[in-house]
Amino acid sequence: MTAEPLLSLRGLTVDFRLPQGVMRAVDRVSFDLAPGEVLGIVGESGSGKSQILFSLMGLLASNGTVGGQAVFQGQDLLSLRPKELDRVRGTSLSMIFQDPMTSLNPYMRVGDQLAEGLILHKGLSRSAARAEAVAMLDRVRIPDAAARARRYPHEFSGGMRQRVMIAMALLVRPALLLADEPTTALDVTIQAQVLDLMAELAREIGTAIILVTHDLGVVARLCDRVVVLYGGRIMEQGPAEALFEAPAHPYARGLLQATPRLDEALTPRLGTIPGTPRSGGAMLPGCPFEPRCPLRLPVCAQVQPALTARGGTLAACHLEAER
Amino acid sequence: MLRFIGKRLWDGGLTLAALVTLTFFVMRLAPGGPFSRSRKISPEVLANIQAAFHLDEPVWKQFARYVWGLLHLDLGPSTRFRDYSVSDLILSGLPYSLTIGFWAVVVASLVGVSLGIIGALRRNQPADYLAGLIGVVGIAVPIFVIGPLCQLVFGLKLGWLPVGGSGQGWRSLVLPVLVLSLPNIAYISRLTRSSMIETLRENYVRTARAKGLGGGRVLRAHVLRGALLPVVAYLGPATAAIITGSILIETVFAVPGIGRHFVDAALNRDYPLVMGITLLYGALLIFFNIGTDLLRGWMDPRLRHGR
Repeated sequence: MTAEPLLSLRGLTVDFRLPQGVMRAVDRVSFDLAPGEVLGIVGESGSGKSQILFSLMGLLASNGTVGGQAVFQGQDLLSLRPKELDRVRGTSLSMIFQDPMTSLNPYMRVGDQLAEGLILHKGLSRSAARAEAVAMLDRVRIPDAAARARRYPHEFSGGMRQRVMIAMALLVRPALLLADEPTTALDVTIQAQVLDLMAELAREIGTAIILVTHDLGVVARLCDRVVVLYGGRIMEQGPAEALFEAPAHPYARGLLQATPRLDEALTPRLGTIPGTPRSGGAMLPGCPFEPRCPLRLPVCAQVQPALTARGGTLAACHLEAER
Repeated sequence: MLRFIGKRLWDGGLTLAALVTLTFFVMRLAPGGPFSRSRKISPEVLANIQAAFHLDEPVWKQFARYVWGLLHLDLGPSTRFRDYSVSDLILSGLPYSLTIGFWAVVVASLVGVSLGIIGALRRNQPADYLAGLIGVVGIAVPIFVIGPLCQLVFGLKLGWLPVGGSGQGWRSLVLPVLVLSLPNIAYISRLTRSSMIETLRENYVRTARAKGLGGGRVLRAHVLRGALLPVVAYLGPATAAIITGSILIETVFAVPGIGRHFVDAALNRDYPLVMGITLLYGALLIFFNIGTDLLRGWMDPRLRHGR
């Protein structure tokens, strides 16, 4: 990192109190994000990737606690008071959620939902805020934006609603956009459209993105850097190109092999990772991926591997280190 | 909008017609008649009385006569309260029931919704438990227990309020209104609480928080409307029931309302009074249901579809 990072996570930890004990969803995750950079966080369901975003936004479920540091524009998001956090969330940090069908208020006109943040945080008048909202809806290519702004969410399709969410998130021109699987709930045919639109607008505004997804194709197309998460821990991280070219961690390799590719149509069968992702429970002393790893060594179950430099990436694996 | 109201009124009219028909015939199917419980009277006198009320005619003819009267806004004479028409009885009692019922609805809504909101926001904290306790007491303790208790404490011991009757203006209203609203406070506060908790979990509320709107604004602009919709749906029919009086309240507090007719008229086989009271309740129920639907349509744009 040459420039001052926009966001710097240090040992971010998220725990959930459950009836059967404390479950660690995110375990000492650290990474930096430069201004304007697009970072992809990939991993299976339950790997803790969404919880990283929720913890940054102060939106964890009430039984969740967060530890570590997340310095964003010089202040630690995790220790802000509610008022200060509201200020940050309203002006420089935005989030797009997974399910556009339920993420908009069904009782409020779309335009008003966009405008309310501007009125509150930027002190715009109602009419000025509405005008900006319409302009933004136009930029996310909502046809006839001025008329559509007076409509209610149920009068929009899923793809349209996610565009509205994107417009709402980028309206305040945030420095960082957190996108939690923004297209998972959408038709495959419009997923790419919506993502490209989001990335394009963010680039124009100069907004950095953390994109949480399990779609490696999306990561390859949009992201500058990738973090691979498993069991709440970083398995591997590095520039997208290097990681896709030569994944060092067996889990990252498995993920890539499990992704269909158009240019290798002759592969007889799509690769799979045997077993199921671990869901909560006590932390293992060793590598969380050890039980499913095809290349595990005796040491893997005992000692947690640290992130060490490989070809072009950082990976947490004993195997490569011993070679 | 006007077409919607027109259609609902037309439907309501049909419902009332069905209600009149059904009540009329079902009542005559029940054994006994208006004068079968009276003191022994000679067959000649009974026949005369029956004839005076047209009870000697075939049932279909009685029905036609009743409907004809209804169309002229004539609900007929009461067979029990001689010299009074059903309209007289209803018009003399309704204002008392209406006044007490109206204020009970107002108190129950305000207090119930407030308690529910506090309970949802301070979940599993002392305030929530207190609201819950009021709820349990309100639902579990019957009016004929809490009513006399209030009379003893506020009427006799403290002497603040009259024990009953209707002669002291607003002071006569306080106790019946309070006691009548208690079970409704309980029900509304439980309803509001659970609906609030559900709404607070909605994704769109999370979106509002993510916009940094702050707790108060999130609550006012995004949570309340969705949370109150079920309460409004409950209040419509409940209002019709509450403002037509309660026999318990009117008996305990000696209020000359119409609530007691609901039970007495049926026991006395006072055919015309039963019909009148049923019709009144049915009409109010339909009226408040239409009102509720309009209000909910105003609150929830998704319900406006298909109008």
